Amino acid sequence: MGCCGCCAPRYKRLVDSVFPRDPQDGLVKGNMEKLTFYVLSSPEKLDRVGEYLYQRVSRDIYRKKPGFIVIGVESMDQLLQACHSQTLNLFVESFLRMVQKLLESPDPNLQILATQSFVKFSSIEEDTPSYHRRYDFFVSKFASMCHNNSPNDDIRNEIRAAGTRGLRSVVRKTVSDDLVENIWDSSHMEKIIPSLLFNMEQGRQGLVADENDASTENQNEEEMEAPRLAENCMRDLVNKATFGHVRSFVKPVLHHFDTFELWVPNDFAVHTFRVIMFSIQSQYSYAVIETLMNHLDQHHMKSSAKVRTSMGDVLAKIIDIAAGESVGPSVLEIVNSIVQHIQVSTKLEGADSDEKAYRETLIAALGEYVTHLPDYQKIEIMKFIMQKVPSRVDNSSSQRLLQSMLLKSLLMVGSKYHTTYLSTTFPLSFLQPLLTMCQDEDAELRLLVQNILHTLIDRHQNRERLSSPTITKLEHLKRESCTRTDILFVKKNGSEIFTSLVASVGKNNNAIGNMNAIYTTIALFLVELFCEDTLVDFIRVIISFQDLALTSASLSATQKIHLHVMSVSLFAVIAQCFPAIQDYKNSVVKARRELAAHLIPPMKVRYEAYEPSQNIAEPCLFRQDEIFAILKNEGLEVSSNKLSYSVPRHSWVDAHMQSGSTTDLNSFSMEVDSGASTPIGSRKMRPEREDEEMTVENLKRLLNDSSDIRKEIEVQKRKELTHAYKTANFEDLVAKTAAKQTVLQEIHLPSIISTAVQYFVRLLPRTLSGESFIYRTIIGLIIARCTPNKLRIYIGPALKLCMVVDIEFYGKTSIVSQPVVAVKSRNRE
Amino acid sequence: MEDYKFLFKVVLVGNAGVGKTCLVRRFTQGLFPPGQGATIGVDFMIKTVDINGEKVKLQIWDTAGQERFRSITQSYYRSAHALILVYDVSSQPTFDCLPDWLREIEEYANVKVLRVLVGNKTDREDREIPTYVGEDFASRNNMYFMETSAKEADNVEKLFMEIAHALIEQAKVREPVSKYEGSPGQALNLNNRPQTASNENCCSRLL
Repeated sequence: MGCCGCCAPRYKRLVDSVFPRDPQDGLVKGNMEKLTFYVLSSPEKLDRVGEYLYQRVSRDIYRKKPGFIVIGVESMDQLLQACHSQTLNLFVESFLRMVQKLLESPDPNLQILATQSFVKFSSIEEDTPSYHRRYDFFVSKFASMCHNNSPNDDIRNEIRAAGTRGLRSVVRKTVSDDLVENIWDSSHMEKIIPSLLFNMEQGRQGLVADENDASTENQNEEEMEAPRLAENCMRDLVNKATFGHVRSFVKPVLHHFDTFELWVPNDFAVHTFRVIMFSIQSQYSYAVIETLMNHLDQHHMKSSAKVRTSMGDVLAKIIDIAAGESVGPSVLEIVNSIVQHIQVSTKLEGADSDEKAYRETLIAALGEYVTHLPDYQKIEIMKFIMQKVPSRVDNSSSQRLLQSMLLKSLLMVGSKYHTTYLSTTFPLSFLQPLLTMCQDEDAELRLLVQNILHTLIDRHQNRERLSSPTITKLEHLKRESCTRTDILFVKKNGSEIFTSLVASVGKNNNAIGNMNAIYTTIALFLVELFCEDTLVDFIRVIISFQDLALTSASLSATQKIHLHVMSVSLFAVIAQCFPAIQDYKNSVVKARRELAAHLIPPMKVRYEAYEPSQNIAEPCLFRQDEIFAILKNEGLEVSSNKLSYSVPRHSWVDAHMQSGSTTDLNSFSMEVDSGASTPIGSRKMRPEREDEEMTVENLKRLLNDSSDIRKEIEVQKRKELTHAYKTANFEDLVAKTAAKQTVLQEIHLPSIISTAVQYFVRLLPRTLSGESFIYRTIIGLIIARCTPNKLRIYIGPALKLCMVVDIEFYGKTSIVSQPVVAVKSRNRE
Repeated sequence: MEDYKFLFKVVLVGNAGVGKTCLVRRFTQGLFPPGQGATIGVDFMIKTVDINGEKVKLQIWDTAGQERFRSITQSYYRSAHALILVYDVSSQPTFDCLPDWLREIEEYANVKVLRVLVGNKTDREDREIPTYVGEDFASRNNMYFMETSAKEADNVEKLFMEIAHALIEQAKVREPVSKYEGSPGQALNLNNRPQTASNENCCSRLL
């Protein structure tokens, strides 16, 4: 060294003077100041100084003189810090060549030295763009250092930390500047991300142990261990990512977890994704979720359910972080994607317990996600999931499974939702299919639907207290008085809801769980919606239950007892809300205690010796007329009004219990009496008077008649009609109806059809020949009215009824309805 | 003073334990480290050689053979000028994996990358793969072939020299491309060594 004499240029002499004779002495400070002053006053010399320094350092590396190398690097660093950014550009080139040279050396100390220099450099803000600068060597080398495997623990840790710091610096240097290298390029990300993750994971065990100490003392950057550095670097990187970059860094993360098999167990994956979710700019967080779900897609074919479950679990644990920021279509996209995964999973053959766990995890993820969404979106999501539930199921088990899985998802979403107005919670498009489901053949499915109803109805957390029938006074029942919207809701949907519930309770495969659930549903409705306006509706339900128990042919004795128990328990709830009927309740309860103790709660799975329901003593039963009389005494306008129409006991049940699609039935009768101002009353009234014309005389008589007499007449007529239909032969029927053609109001025909079908359906289980009889009658009726115009109007409802009968009683679709279809197609011709 | 005319990146791949790291150590440091542990991630070595009076700097990236590091090692293939695929002549399984490795190379590496098949550990008594089998495989897949022993320093030097040779030849064939050097859109690398073409080029020359 120092060979140059006085003939060397000034800058070289200045540089040389910085180096001491003995490297032990360190940088010659005074001369360094001179050098700095020199380059500051004549910036054009800076690049030559840089070049010369680089050469000196290179030579020292070659000659293995570590002392001088350190001094050379130090002077480079100082010049870099001291000089103005405009002039730095070329100097930086020399500087980086020096750093690269140091990094290429196998000596770990030089590598660490180089990294330290590079870190300092990265903190300098340059304002001139450097188009031509490339960092790929640095990325490659630092990534390689992150994986250092030196046998010496200290050296290994130091180099790994240095590598991590280096990567962080590269990221810092490049990430915010569009003009330099694109750090988000996959060739870089595939090196940076696995290196960071590798270090994060390596330190995971130690980190978990002393997480508490580490968080309290704020460690200096320089002293930090590689794992923590790596995590910080990850946070920095993720924080800088924009939408387009999300995939570029999430994919290597996922790939890393795949190859390192870090999904099971998944705590590191959860940790990493939490880091990502908390660091990423929140508006992009859902893109992470999306990428993770796509990855789950790809795994469907090749991975075990365990791995997928773990991934689903990761999803569940981070999805809430994204939920706050999701808006609009992205919400449904995520929900849709989860639902699709569930769908795919249900189609897999031979699912084991792992697969089930996977589905549960997905549903949990859905729940987590939905929890953090605003309520109006929850309703949308419920509607969305409802659409996906297959309504009519061929008996394939996968469809069944899908149905129950989706309903479970629905239950999950519902449980996160807080109902304020029932009318907003149950828009028709959601309520309708839900009610249809609650009459499904599958008892477990029905139970699920009831549970969904519970969580949605229960506004005051009374569910626990109403979980099973009881007649003791319910303490701590939270209620608020029924609002106007609630009453409107009952007016609008009450009959459909209760009809469906009655139908549901009439299923002969109802276990005690189903019964309990239906009790809870109605009890919840009662608590939520009870008021004088709705009182009658609830009493009807109770009477319907009782009637069902008395008349049903398909229910088992145990189920009938259950129905009685439910009736009395529900009545007790009403009595609690409406004390006027308390005495009546007590009298019934007392009678039951004495005469039929099995008819009071609790319900039992099995009854040792039960009495056939016919033999239940009169005082043990609720009598509608007596109840309504009490109500009338209370001066309830509603009740007296309703009483005048005097709904015969069976009509409610008759009209609705037997069909799988009562909603169809209902909508059809709605059409019929759409002109009536009080649809509930008039609808009930019509079927009984099918042969009466609507004359003033008739109406007058109707008003004057006492209800009891009228009722008897109705029953009588009904019997006759039944008898006639039952015994008459086909031709007679045709003739009879054809003869009436002119007399009958057109409006009556659907009523006839409906009544006929209902009657025959009730008779059906007892008479084997019922099948041929029913369709004969129906055909007869239709053909009797068979002018083409009319036929067009009536055949629709008729067909619906026939189909209901088919499905309900034969489980097939064509036995009864086939002839009707034939008539229909004939008519079309 | 070091200055060099060519810089080539050479990447070693192959199953774990076939001796990649030993080959590199033998070549760069002239030693055979007994009991060498498994490489983690990627290791880096540099060596400058003299080919016909021209200095050639070889950046050697020695990758981990273990499956779990596949994701990071793959990212190093892309910029490689030469890929050395190593198997162990005394281990049939390492040979059987070669087609898998080739698929990976096809997928991740540059199409024009120079591919060399190396059967290592010829010093072993229990050889399982005869030379001709390796040769045959190499010729079928359009690769260079060589058998080496890192322990005996057999053919190691020759291997890297041949690679350097071949790469120089390749680079010289592509010389015309370098007309585009220095045009503004062209990326220069750190050392002001213009690249002959963005990614397709197989070497970079020092000005």
